[in-house]
Parts: sequence; structure tokens; C-alpha cells
Amino acid sequence: MARALCTGRFDVPEAARSDDPMSVSADWSWQRVALAGMRDALLLPAWIVGFGLIGIGSLARDVGYPVDVAVLSTILVWAGPSQVLFFASIAAGAAWSAIAIAIAFASLRFLPMTMAILPLLRRPGQSIWQQLFLSHYVAVTAWTEGLRRLPGIPVHQRVAYFLGFANTCMAVSSVGTFAGYYLLGALPVPFAAGLLCLTPIFFLVSLTAGLRHRADVTALVLGLALAPVCERFIGGGFDLIVAGLIAGSIAFAIGRKRKAAK
Amino acid sequence: MTQPIALLDGSLWPYLALLLFAVLPTEIWRWLAVGFARGLKADSPLLEWVRAVATALLAGIVAKLIVSPPGALAYAPLFVRVAALAAAVAVMAVSRRRMMLAVLVGEVVLIGGVWLFGAA
Repeated sequence: MARALCTGRFDVPEAARSDDPMSVSADWSWQRVALAGMRDALLLPAWIVGFGLIGIGSLARDVGYPVDVAVLSTILVWAGPSQVLFFASIAAGAAWSAIAIAIAFASLRFLPMTMAILPLLRRPGQSIWQQLFLSHYVAVTAWTEGLRRLPGIPVHQRVAYFLGFANTCMAVSSVGTFAGYYLLGALPVPFAAGLLCLTPIFFLVSLTAGLRHRADVTALVLGLALAPVCERFIGGGFDLIVAGLIAGSIAFAIGRKRKAAK
Repeated sequence: MTQPIALLDGSLWPYLALLLFAVLPTEIWRWLAVGFARGLKADSPLLEWVRAVATALLAGIVAKLIVSPPGALAYAPLFVRVAALAAAVAVMAVSRRRMMLAVLVGEVVLIGGVWLFGAA
């Protein structure tokens, strides 16, 4: 499978893929570029995140928090797993310190993710505050889609495109969270399970869409395989980061070796 | 349920708790990354490693959500959850990466699977 994913059918030219963005041309105004980002978000990603966060609304309601805390969590935390952990841990009666530590470990991925995407969004004269602002939008969707699409967009238009894309995802998700607060309890079990499975399915599909070479495939496959093993043998919330470091480093080494061999 | 810290109790507590125990521990990594990424070139080897680790971490989260599923997803037997993911990836492999189709097929397998084999 790994071989099939990075060779053969997967090496389709960018333009031939059905859901790739229309190219943004260098002479477009920033409004038009932002609209292109918005359009690309509405083609699929925004709906997936939006549906994925419907569950957050219902979790917040279960612990008796007001609906605006649920919606604010989507806008301010902007990370599904952190939000699930927050409300589910409150429901389970966990200590506040334990909740914060669990969320910090689950969010460690944002360090490498944000570091990887910021250089694509950088342009001359950008202040640290603009970068801090842009970094807030980094979450799985904007990250996988951004890494895939930003390189094909002229440098000076990337920020407008990224903000158009990410803000659209966030707006749709806020509505989803709000709707979930009032709706989800009424859903039959298979559909509730389907909504909760949307996140892992979409994470995996986005990662698959962004695979460029064998190192990426190795990181993906090893990450999938090692995480459950580490979860079993390493405690204290360190399991995921250990799995990520091992799998990522092996993948990196393989990528280097292939490059050196060429 | 987790008790509010007495001193700070009141109707504002949920907002404060959200900021302190969810927003801060998540956002801190994004802020730190801004510091670390300064001066890094988009094609530097360090960034390649960072990217590989990020990819593996995301894949790890997928595996964890499937192996220890939250809420109603636990009603789906393990083989149904795995089959849903496998179906989605298979569609990506044979359909020239049509994401919408892949997600739909994955969801159909999962919802259908819970319907047929669900523990509920």
C-alpha cells in the first residue's frame, strides 16, 4: 500500500486532480485571492471541520457550560482534540492541572506543524504580531491543505488566501458547534458515531492527499503503527510525542538517504 | 464534575477555565513555533524533519482515536473503525485523490458497520 500511495497513480500532475484549487494569478487583488481561499474551503474542508466539531457542542452541554463557551472554544482553541479533552475531562471530574497538562501534550503537534507552515506564509516586513496571529489558525485542515496549496500561490498572495480559507473553516465550525449544542442528543447512534469518526477519517484523508514522497508515506504509516504501541507501554501522556519523534525521525532519515543516493 | 476553584467561582468561571486550561496549553505551542521558525528557510533540512514529525504525530492521533474511540464511536467495533479508515485510503489510492469521495465512502462504511454490527 505504501508503495502504491507514493508512486504510480498517486503521481498525478497537480492540475489533473479534481479538487485542487483553480490557480490564483499574480495580478489578482487580495480580495479576490481571499475569495478563492474561501471557495476552496467551502468545496469540502470547511464542512468536514464544521461537522467534526458538532460533537463539541453536545459535550459542552453535557457539563452544563453555556453555548457561548462551546462556540468560543472553537474560535479560541481551534483544535478538536483539545476541545474534546477539555469538556470530556470536566465531565469525568479530572483535576484542572491534569486537564491542562493533557491538553498541552495533545497540542504539542502544533509546534512542528506551525514551524513547517510559517515559512510559506512569510513575506518581507511581516511583524511578529502578524505571525502570532497567523499561527493561531494552524490546525489540521489549514495545515495539510496549506502545505499542499500554498507553494502554488504567489508569495505575496499567500496570507490573503490562507486567511480566507482558515476563517471560512472557523466560521462554518462555529455554526456547527452551536448547532451541536442543541441537536446532537437527538441523533441515532450510528450517525452520532459517524460524526465522531469524521475527524480521524478526514485527518487521514488530508494526510494522504498531501503525500509527496516516500518519507511522507513512512512518517504516516509508522505514526499510525507506533501510536497504539506507545499508548500501551508509555504512560503519563508522553506516548504520542514519543511515537511522533521516533516515526518522524525514521521517515526523515529514509528521505535523506534517498536524496543522497540520487 | 470538576469543581470550580472557589475563589474564582461564579458565572464567569467557564470562560476563565476555558482560557486557562484549554486555550493557553494549546496556543502556547503555536506561539513558541513563531519564535523557533524565525530565520528558518522553507527548504531547510531541519524543517523537513519537523514536517515528518508533525505528519507522524497527526497519524498517531488518528490511530489513538480509532483504538480508544470517544463517546458514541465506541459503539462501532474495532474492525468497523479500521475498515472505515482503510476504505477511505483505498478510495484515495484508486480515485486520483478525490477527498470528498474518500470521506463519504469511509463514513458509509462506518455508519453501515455500526448499523449491522453495533454494540448498541
